[in-house]
Amino acid sequence: MAAPAYPAWVTRWVSGQWRNKKRPPALRPPRALALADKVANRREEATEATCITEMSVMMACWKQNDFNDAPCAEEIRMFYDCVAKAEKERKNQNEDTMSSRGNLPSSKVNKLLKRFPQITRYV
Amino acid sequence: MAAPGAAGLGRRLRAWLPRIMPVRWSRYNPSYLEPEVKKESYQKPLEELTDEEREHMELKAVRPIKAAPPSLSSSVFSDPMISKFTNMMMKSGNKVLARSLMSQTLEAIKRKQLEKYHKAPENEKETIECNPYVIFHQALKNCQPIIGLSNITKGGKTYQVPVPLTDNRKRFLAMKWLITECRENKHRRTLMPDKLSQELLLAFNNEGPVIKKKHVLHKMAEANRAYAHFRWW
Repeated sequence: MAAPAYPAWVTRWVSGQWRNKKRPPALRPPRALALADKVANRREEATEATCITEMSVMMACWKQNDFNDAPCAEEIRMFYDCVAKAEKERKNQNEDTMSSRGNLPSSKVNKLLKRFPQITRYV
Repeated sequence: MAAPGAAGLGRRLRAWLPRIMPVRWSRYNPSYLEPEVKKESYQKPLEELTDEEREHMELKAVRPIKAAPPSLSSSVFSDPMISKFTNMMMKSGNKVLARSLMSQTLEAIKRKQLEKYHKAPENEKETIECNPYVIFHQALKNCQPIIGLSNITKGGKTYQVPVPLTDNRKRFLAMKWLITECRENKHRRTLMPDKLSQELLLAFNNEGPVIKKKHVLHKMAEANRAYAHFRWW
């Protein structure tokens, strides 16, 4: 017999591809195809230090005046104002608003998602 | 056999019972209001009160009020900074001794300033400050550091980072430096009022070892200003 026509699976079986795992992936039961109620924990970037410019201005003034406080009173006052403002902002920062960079940390996202979970079944 | 069992049982029972001793934070219900000790606030006629003061008075009619602590006084002679300083000077709860030392210090300051006043020529007499309370407050203000250092660990190494300080921390550091300077770096037989009055007068004129300590702290902060970005607040 010249070129006997066998079905495709026979050829594949004979060649040993099936045994060598070159087969279509068996569909294992996946997780539920729906969004989860939490996000992965992401390392938050540290917020920047506040009042660095005022501090450096004050230190330059100190260096010029041999660390006396009397000639540098204006710079010291500006530094104190900046510190008070930053402290007030930190206290007033609401938990649910975004950080200054514009992204929510993963803990806050998880809290919000817990309040509004994914509906998996209709009752 | 019964004795160790009873002792262990007693210890476990005591740990389970709720604490009756005061802890570091207040045990008052949050609805309790602070007591008002100043006599001037009660002598104001009803019409002069602002709206929020009227509201506060109405609130006081319905809410309970905390007990006034013994250190709170309505006297004209009481000063909260002086009380704080006296408490820091106190050892083993000997408030009587600490208070007497404080009054002797203020008296010593007054005596020294009066001596200077009477010896000074006419044109300089106005510049000499004789009020010991004014001298105390100004000296404390001159001793307060403006910026502090805090240890921040990054990448396994600890750095001294310049950091702004709160008002309470500044006051505490100024008082602590004054008291330690008097206790440790003076001759053994000098009395505390003499040492303290001398230190306070030097600090009032922006001289002396405490001011030097403040300047050393500022210099270190200035030297480490490159690490200021390690702060995250």
